[in-house]
Amino acid sequence: MPYTEFQTLKLQQRGPVGWLLFNRPESLNAMNSVMRAELADAWLELDRDPDVRVIVHTGEGRAFQTGVDVAELATDGLGMERYRADMEAFDLHFTAWHQQVGKPVIAAVNGICAGGGFHWVADADIVIAATTAEFLDPHVSIGQVVSLEAIGLLRKMPFEAVMRMALVGRHERMPAQRAYELGMVSQLVPPDQLREAAQELAETIARNSPAAMAATKRALWGALETGLTEACRRGALEVVSVWGHPDQDEGPRAFAEKREPEWVNPERVES
Amino acid sequence: MSGTYRGLLVEREGPVGWLIFDRPDVGNAMDAAMLADLPRAWADLDANPDVRVIVNTGNGSAFQTGLDVRQLAGDRDALRAQSRRTKHADLRISAWHNRVGKPVIAAVNGVCAGGGLHFVADADIVIAAQRATFLDPHVSLGQASAFELIGLARRGAVEPVMRIGLTGRHERLDAARAYQLGIVSEVVPDVRVAARRLAEKIARNPPETLRLVKQQLWRALELGLTAARREAAAAKSLGAP
Repeated sequence: MPYTEFQTLKLQQRGPVGWLLFNRPESLNAMNSVMRAELADAWLELDRDPDVRVIVHTGEGRAFQTGVDVAELATDGLGMERYRADMEAFDLHFTAWHQQVGKPVIAAVNGICAGGGFHWVADADIVIAATTAEFLDPHVSIGQVVSLEAIGLLRKMPFEAVMRMALVGRHERMPAQRAYELGMVSQLVPPDQLREAAQELAETIARNSPAAMAATKRALWGALETGLTEACRRGALEVVSVWGHPDQDEGPRAFAEKREPEWVNPERVES
Repeated sequence: MSGTYRGLLVEREGPVGWLIFDRPDVGNAMDAAMLADLPRAWADLDANPDVRVIVNTGNGSAFQTGLDVRQLAGDRDALRAQSRRTKHADLRISAWHNRVGKPVIAAVNGVCAGGGLHFVADADIVIAAQRATFLDPHVSLGQASAFELIGLARRGAVEPVMRIGLTGRHERLDAARAYQLGIVSEVVPDVRVAARRLAEKIARNPPETLRLVKQQLWRALELGLTAARREAAAAKSLGAP
């Protein structure tokens, strides 16, 4: 199925894996207005493609993502005003989490991840990185407040490290190794093997039941919203939601017969 | 601690109460009988005044591998009862489910899979043998995973928990990485020796204080920061000696 031709992104399919590439390498993949709009569509396009089981996103060139395009902000006369209404309404659509993507999402951080780039680290299910990747949050060094992406990270990893990046701004970078130690990423790969490793991980995950993974994903992200007991109560609903689903018979049967399971490919549930 | 417990060994050794999974032939998987007796085992250890700290481990090469699906498939009543408990988030498996007030150490002696993760997510302290591994095969069998991973996600970095949940039976987290991530606090060759030593240290602290600390730290996982501190402050002013 041919994907939409985007100006700032590339979508590709490799086997069961849908790839979303940030494609503004000359601007270190900074998100301009066009990319912001295109991301909203791109996530949904991959999430709705029945041939895609798992989504990987990464960047072309030496950067992963460097957040809002500051050059555009400085020159178009609108500056941050262009984002004000959406931000005030919390009406955002550029990450998988914003778009309520149901499929597993892997971020493969290929190089520098700066500032708003953390949106895609915070909002991915799984994050792997090149050994050469670096993380920093320069917001405060250019007089901007960092909040949404840091709030996401705070829920997912040790607090101190996030606060340090937020307050030190552009004057310090966290190396990939430290991100791995802190559990921000789960795998480091030499840069020239990153895409291969991401593809391999995605194909591994694609062997699991799509319905079960979607429910597990909802339960886990839901756990970041409430207290422990309430999260378990809501999680129970997700567990029960797949009872009676054909995958529940197919999984054990395939295991007993020593073959790959044939899962039902679920329709995207529009929310 | 009277009577016997099916699939479990319950013993006391000085101040340490042991709850040992004892179905080594099936990876200590929980059958209907073990599920039925777990609440009593936890309650008896918690009530015994000579027990100060509880250690939970497994006999054989596995720690815990979750529900014994094969046994439960043939026991419709037990399966129905367990399904009902799952549905209502009313499980009675772990120390947390059973509202144990004493400190609980999980001593993960080997593989800990799927529902076995309840005992890691719901313990106060977790130590592991070098050969211990952690995985969650639910999604590889068409099952959603929730409680165990939700509990783990509250205790440390979330990304590794998501990864365990989504990779299913195709990947394992080893003890060294679990240590790095703070899922466990000690990795040792002999987990029972280390658990006993640790339990004896904890047992030197006043039981009532331990109980309050445990209660408030778990309670903090239910609330926002300010609310948790406000409650704790109130409890302190009430209960302080």
